[in-house]
Amino acid sequence: MSQIRLHHVPASRSFRVLWLLAEMGTDCAIETYDIAGGSLRSPEYLALNPSGRVPALEVDGRVLMESGAIVEYLCETRPEHGLGRLPGDPERADYLQWMHFAETQATLVQELNLQWIFMPAEMRSKAVLQVQARRLAATAKVLEAALSERDWLLPSGFSAADVMMGFNVFALPYYIKMEKFPAITAYRARIEERPAYQAARARDGQQKFYAQDYYDPEAL
Amino acid sequence: MITLHHCVQSRSMRVLWLLNELEVDFRVVPHAFDKSLRSPEYLSLSPAGRVPALEIEGERMFESAAIMEFLCEKFPDIGYGRLPGDMDRMAWLVWLHFAETISQHCAPLTQQHIVIRDDADRSPLVMRLEEARLLKCYDAIEARLSTPVENRDYLLTSGFSACDIAVGQAVYIARHFARTDGHPELEKWYERITDRDGFRASLPDPESALIYTQDFYPPWDS
Ligand SMILES: N[C@@H](CCC(=O)N[C@@H](CS)C(=O)NCC(=O)O)C(=O)O
Ligand SMILES: N[C@@H](CCC(=O)N[C@@H](CS)C(=O)NCC(=O)O)C(=O)O
Repeated sequence: MSQIRLHHVPASRSFRVLWLLAEMGTDCAIETYDIAGGSLRSPEYLALNPSGRVPALEVDGRVLMESGAIVEYLCETRPEHGLGRLPGDPERADYLQWMHFAETQATLVQELNLQWIFMPAEMRSKAVLQVQARRLAATAKVLEAALSERDWLLPSGFSAADVMMGFNVFALPYYIKMEKFPAITAYRARIEERPAYQAARARDGQQKFYAQDYYDPEAL
Repeated sequence: MITLHHCVQSRSMRVLWLLNELEVDFRVVPHAFDKSLRSPEYLSLSPAGRVPALEIEGERMFESAAIMEFLCEKFPDIGYGRLPGDMDRMAWLVWLHFAETISQHCAPLTQQHIVIRDDADRSPLVMRLEEARLLKCYDAIEARLSTPVENRDYLLTSGFSACDIAVGQAVYIARHFARTDGHPELEKWYERITDRDGFRASLPDPESALIYTQDFYPPWDS
């Protein structure tokens, strides 16, 4: 079988796929891109993935985009790792729900990144940044409630739904104060203890987005 | 019984469209697109206070695409899903998820043009950047539909599916913010999929309060 190749930006959504492959003990080649540098807009990359985003994964002779789709596909085609909850599984509905909820939350991170990281300071709107931080906190409350009852999102234990959060829970502290979310903080520590997570982080590369630990709309 | 909690012109429209196509019995509970989505009753259905939410056989679900996956697995005979093992399974997952990538750009545009009240808080730059992102999404759809051999009528080679519904609904909203000109295959596809009874039955009733009262919201000049 030809090698799996991941098109990747450090600390972005493609980390989900990197981590999942590590949990499966599957090796992959990594091509790293730089959002600000424009390498995702090169004709070569657009030919591979016309949406110009990461992740893209070359696997099983095809090119896949969409982190959630890649994660679902890998879990279905490699069921021996037990990371998915396949159709018919009693946890199927919850599994799908968390999988997609990861993107509901990621949208807010993306919007905050746009204003805080990619836009000139004088163009930011304090009111919008306050609202978006509040909306992000509202999604964190949903996660907090689930994780107050159990270690992982699903009662049966660790799954690919948790891997989807591998992008989210590391982005949250830049935009919301984590003191109010002890269960998420403990969850993040549990994630960081996983050897596969550590192996994936070691390959992830240096993130280039965040220059501060916390972006405070009140300070504007 | 299946119950869909729905706001017109929101992501619950995807699920409504799918339910219409599946020809199953269901009931719709309409909600206003306002603070009532933050009531404790509604939060017990959808903890982030968003639409859609679905009740099915005593279970509660939120997240439109999760609901669509679940329904396609529950009603496999109608054939709008592509279940694991199907030739088009990989593509089905990709395009179902891609619908949300499109909607993720519609959300800030809706906020910028409609939700924000004070003009000083609107950002022409955000409007333009998000519009540009939608156009990139259109490019990806255009590329998918145009193949060197024979153009595709639907997102999947094997024909109409829940992907066309999810992406179609996302484009229905996106068209308020980014014009589809210059994407001829996308336009033909959009006409094809919206020429279905299931789509028409998911449109707002004439008397319902719309989120989008204009057909198009051009980006502001800075
Ligand atoms: N829903 C998609 C979103 C992909 C996405 O937007 N990725 C970001 C990085 S986190 C990206 O590539 N941004 C670059 C750009 O949009 O130009 C997924 O989960 O894969
Ligand atoms: N990823 C979720 C997003 C749901 C969502 O954000 N729905 C919007 C309407 S399109 C909503 O309920 N917004 C109300 C709010 O955020 O207050 C899904 O697909 O169901």
